[in-house]
Amino acid sequence: MFNVRSDEPKYAFLWDKETKETNRYGKPIDLAKEGDELHGVSLNINGDCSIGDNPNRYKQHGFYFNADNCIGCHACEAACSEKNDNPAHIAFRSVGFVEGGSYPAYQRLNISMACNHCDDPVCLKGCPTRAYTKYVEYGAVLQDPDICFGCGYCTWVCPYNAPQLDPVKGQVSKCNMCVDRLEVGLKPACVSACLGNALDFGVIENVPENREQSKTEIPGFPRTDITNPNIRFQQTRQNKRDMTRTDSMPLKYHKDEKVGLYKSALDPKKGQKKEWNWAKLLLSHESSHVAFTLVTQAAVGGFLLLVLGNLFGINAFKTISSSTNLTPLLVVFSVIMSFGLYKLNMHLGKPHRFYRGFYNLRHSPVSREIAGVSLFFASLLGFTFFHSMDFNFLANVCAVLGVMSGPIGLYYMYKLYRIKARPYWDHWQTATSLIGTCLSFSALIIALFLLVVAEPSVTVFKTLATVVLAGLVIDTVGHLFHARYLQTGEGEAQASWYEQTTTFAWPFYISQGLLVVAIIAAFLNILDPSVFTWVVLLLAYLGSAVIKRSLFFALVIPTTMPGAFFWKNQGFQEHAKETGLAKMPQVGVEYEAHRVFNVSELIKTIKETSLKDAQTQLKSIFIWKNT
Amino acid sequence: MLFGRDKKNAIKMVDKKNEKWTYATCGYCSVGCSIEIGTDAEGKVVGSRGVGGADVNRGKLCVKGIFEHELFSSSGRGDKPLIRQSIHEGYSEITWDEAASTMVGEIRRIQETHGRDSFAVVSTGQLLTEEFYTLGKLTRGVIGTNNYDGNTTLCMASAVSGYKRSFGSDGPPGCYEDFEHTECLMAWGSNLPEQHPIIYWRLQEAREQRDFPLIVVDPRVTMLAQKADIHLAITPGTDVVLQNALMYVILNEGLEDREYIDANTVGLEQLEMEVQKYDPTTASAICGIDEDTIRNVARLYAKADSAMSIWTMGINQSTHGSDGVVGINNLNLITGNIGKEGGTSLSITGQCNAMGTREWSSCSGLPGYRALENAKDREEIGKFWNVDPEFFPKKRGLAQTDIFPAIETGQIKGLWLIATNPMTSMPNTERTRKILEKLDFLVVQDSYADVETTQYAHLYLPAATWAEKEGVFTNTERRVNIVRKAADAPGDSKSDFDIFNLIAKHFAGSEKMNFPDKPAEAFEEMKVLSKGRLVDISGMNHDLIEQKRGIQWPYTEEQAVNGEEPPKGGKRLYTENGTFRHADGMAKLIPLPFIDNNEVPDEKYPFWLNTGRLVEHFHTRTKTGKLGNTNKYSPIPFMEINPDAAREMGITQGEYVRCVSRRGDAVVMAMLTQRVPRNMVFIPFHFFDCVNRLTLGLLDPHSRQPAYKQSAIRIEVLANQQEAAQLSKEMRNF
Repeated sequence: MFNVRSDEPKYAFLWDKETKETNRYGKPIDLAKEGDELHGVSLNINGDCSIGDNPNRYKQHGFYFNADNCIGCHACEAACSEKNDNPAHIAFRSVGFVEGGSYPAYQRLNISMACNHCDDPVCLKGCPTRAYTKYVEYGAVLQDPDICFGCGYCTWVCPYNAPQLDPVKGQVSKCNMCVDRLEVGLKPACVSACLGNALDFGVIENVPENREQSKTEIPGFPRTDITNPNIRFQQTRQNKRDMTRTDSMPLKYHKDEKVGLYKSALDPKKGQKKEWNWAKLLLSHESSHVAFTLVTQAAVGGFLLLVLGNLFGINAFKTISSSTNLTPLLVVFSVIMSFGLYKLNMHLGKPHRFYRGFYNLRHSPVSREIAGVSLFFASLLGFTFFHSMDFNFLANVCAVLGVMSGPIGLYYMYKLYRIKARPYWDHWQTATSLIGTCLSFSALIIALFLLVVAEPSVTVFKTLATVVLAGLVIDTVGHLFHARYLQTGEGEAQASWYEQTTTFAWPFYISQGLLVVAIIAAFLNILDPSVFTWVVLLLAYLGSAVIKRSLFFALVIPTTMPGAFFWKNQGFQEHAKETGLAKMPQVGVEYEAHRVFNVSELIKTIKETSLKDAQTQLKSIFIWKNT
Repeated sequence: MLFGRDKKNAIKMVDKKNEKWTYATCGYCSVGCSIEIGTDAEGKVVGSRGVGGADVNRGKLCVKGIFEHELFSSSGRGDKPLIRQSIHEGYSEITWDEAASTMVGEIRRIQETHGRDSFAVVSTGQLLTEEFYTLGKLTRGVIGTNNYDGNTTLCMASAVSGYKRSFGSDGPPGCYEDFEHTECLMAWGSNLPEQHPIIYWRLQEAREQRDFPLIVVDPRVTMLAQKADIHLAITPGTDVVLQNALMYVILNEGLEDREYIDANTVGLEQLEMEVQKYDPTTASAICGIDEDTIRNVARLYAKADSAMSIWTMGINQSTHGSDGVVGINNLNLITGNIGKEGGTSLSITGQCNAMGTREWSSCSGLPGYRALENAKDREEIGKFWNVDPEFFPKKRGLAQTDIFPAIETGQIKGLWLIATNPMTSMPNTERTRKILEKLDFLVVQDSYADVETTQYAHLYLPAATWAEKEGVFTNTERRVNIVRKAADAPGDSKSDFDIFNLIAKHFAGSEKMNFPDKPAEAFEEMKVLSKGRLVDISGMNHDLIEQKRGIQWPYTEEQAVNGEEPPKGGKRLYTENGTFRHADGMAKLIPLPFIDNNEVPDEKYPFWLNTGRLVEHFHTRTKTGKLGNTNKYSPIPFMEINPDAAREMGITQGEYVRCVSRRGDAVVMAMLTQRVPRNMVFIPFHFFDCVNRLTLGLLDPHSRQPAYKQSAIRIEVLANQQEAAQLSKEMRNF
């Protein structure tokens, strides 16, 4: 048990006398009624099997933040990092700020934010490895770095920037609500350390002594319908109409006078200069996602075209499928897909824990994507092998499996990007882009292959060109609607459009130009296929696809907490890495460490896991007991 | 609901395995927080926490204090004495005995050639009080130079001088408990949330219990200004005008406390005559505060049952610093707000032991607030130390800011710098470099071997830091609090106390004096010398201090013998009528004519340059710049500039710009914010080769403190941002 000092000051103790029945989202605050089997179980913190005597142990707790009072002194962040022994580049709690007004009627609003231990923890649902648990004790959402494989998906879905992906260790960690302190009746370390009397903590919906409000909105705080966060605010002082962010995000928060609430809006703080930024666009952490999504979509598309095209008697695909070209073509798809999977796996913080990607089939689109794509990959390999061996039955089984698992995998690939906190992605264009790639890229690969190894047949090429064109058209339609959605959407969407037409303006325009060239070339190939137009089509398509997919990752601006001027400012972090300032560890910015497939850890896990454990683990993927 | 899995997983949380907690007082600022340092079973320092039962901080710590324990393992510490013949050579290691005898030899050689005062000592506000006392004994009693000062001249000298002029002695009369009583608080150039966060918390606690008006005088919209009921966005360097105008209103409207004035002050007539020149209309044209607001504030302050003023560098670091302090004292004296609950002039001091050096280091006088100018004081100390009183100078020597020019002009040839870093902290860095280059012999005694001054040193002495040694600090509210030893100093480094003793031993003739081996024994000497003085600590001892979590002075032997417990807090000075420290027991009301000698912006240099502190950094970053969890909030220097001014020049957020003054230039990153007016920029002072390359630092005529906060600069856009980024990076070794 955590040691309570004899001179522990009064402010450090929890104060809830009475509690409410339900929270504002209509959910019960009591998470395990008396008699529930989850009652009276130890949290087992560091092997300590005792049970805390906190009278509100099974009630949802949450932070309370009085925005009038925060002075931005960093004491909460420091107390948290001291307790959790976090290095400079990791913080479970951070203070950011927004500013408004003009001198001397100027206002800085500091916002200290950690995890909101949400009713609907999207991190938990998104995590493919099931590293997250929401406990009945205090409603704490805890994450276990020892389970995590460092994909960072939780950091994408969380609107509050709570999970912290450590680029050095390759794993996520986050606020643990100081459950060890709660067990003995103490408030979390950050709250006890607060010097502005801004932070407080208690059973949710309880308003601390001397405070009057219990709001869920302040400027800069994202909307609550995504996760139902357990945080409440007080802010009685008037804010200025425009509250701007001081970090590099081109965002501000503008007051909607009618409802009195703040909405994010574009703040074009860098002007309208059009830039290139190739390196930033193409050499990012996300480039492995670019490679993986493109080749996987091509492979699934190719497989479906070949198998289904043959099945439905489309001449061109019948011709290919019945030729000796099929096996080498399948090998080509297998090889490029292997490359994509390799890139994806090696971008994980802990690539040797790849097998954990299936663990959360119950909730996580990532798990389902991984399951679908893996099954498809196995089917592709099986089909290729059995077909080449003329084991027709087995080849057919693989064909059926592949035709089913491929689309399932792609569907969840699409679903996993439909993140509410990422407006750029949260649009159906994500689907059209995916379908477009399936069609265009796969048909293009088939055509290219035939161009190199076989005698060109006009019918085949015309069909393939038609498929390419269909993909391009679908993609283009999606882009047109997406562009309108971005320009008229919420602030983050507008900010993405702004970045697209300034920071990455030239790559964006080039990708658009290439798309037009590709459409013309595809059209020409339908009319009169030639090697030249195919080569033009290939180059234009590849260029456009890679740039656009890279833009998809580079342009996403999450609805998340504002940063400060240096700390939690993406612009400064990039600057520190570019200039080498990040080489000094005390700057608090770290380069991403090289990822290692730690074979010995994998072998150790295999050795230490009993058959029974493995069975239990496997069972728990498919059989779920609780809600 | 157990959500995410069926079976509970064991929870892993960091356990630092603290086995032992050692009591200390924080070594950063002067708030004087009680802190416990945690060590594990192997004796390794692993954590820290605020002491719950300590009256000052009541369990809280600021961001710096929370990570103070990481200092013990921070980079750049020195562990061996180093020597070199010339500053163009590399250093080589020597033993302590060689170092001490070399140093003594050089000091005597310089003094014999150029006179006793040609060797100067510049110390600090960072050492323990026993160390200050020992250094004072060594310097005044053995070395015998009169050019001995502390870096407190850069931060607190104006407060000291102002207190002396008004009350006859240094020593802040108030305490933190005054927040709990006051009816009106006026903060002059003090930004508590950033500079003294724990005092801010005490203020916030008091305001939540009982609301009272908070008036903040600051040209910048600081966090405290934002929290104020009335923010007076004053024109830099014109505080005295505002004070005079406030007194004009009070005296002309009959709001003064006649009874208090008669019983406690002299000089009202002259004061009244002077303030007549500053009617609110005239004053508002100079200080930029409209006349209605001046009247409003004056009435509010005077009519409050109790009103107090706090101030920090906004007042002290100005050419009218000492006058500004006297002005605050005047204001409080005429409204009867000294020595009563919630009524005081409380200077919020800078360094952890700025008070200790003022009381006991003999920098500007002799121990226990004694003056060199006073024959009786010289006699007393001479007798106690076994030094011929005639050996003491009869007048105070040069202040730090006059010692440096005296090196420039050749009167001073040797210098001993102790725990201070003028390369970053003095105004006009380029001039400071030139000056240090001229020295025949420079000794740098510091915990950090990478402190910038070692570029110019001949001898480097590695010192222990903070809780690697034992002794006391005095805080802003005159609380003596103790630091116990929690960790060993690295390598061969020694506590400053031991270093002073070692050097003393190497001086011929020092054996007739007593240099105790232990800090506690030195404390006993101080107690004897404090008896009957304002700064009476004779009732205290190290153990009692720890037990009480610090004791405010005065606490006399008599009180201790009579079993009178020292109070938890709330001790004040001058609570009885006519007990001020001038010979007649009266406080002086001093007229303050205003002379505008600031370097004001003009066409060539159109911006005011304001400087100040950040909460995450301490002084010249030798400590906080090495700790990621403090440094990361501002790892490189930046400049607050008004977005409208920036837009005019085409400067965008996060761009590097060049600032140019009549002294030099500096490269900083622009932070666009309406916190500053259109004609002003703010640059934090912590960074090496940065803002002090620009500052003028005109000296206050009384305190010799430099005016860091009033200079003029121009701003130039840098076309090559990459080059600027590299330049900025090269200047940051940490």
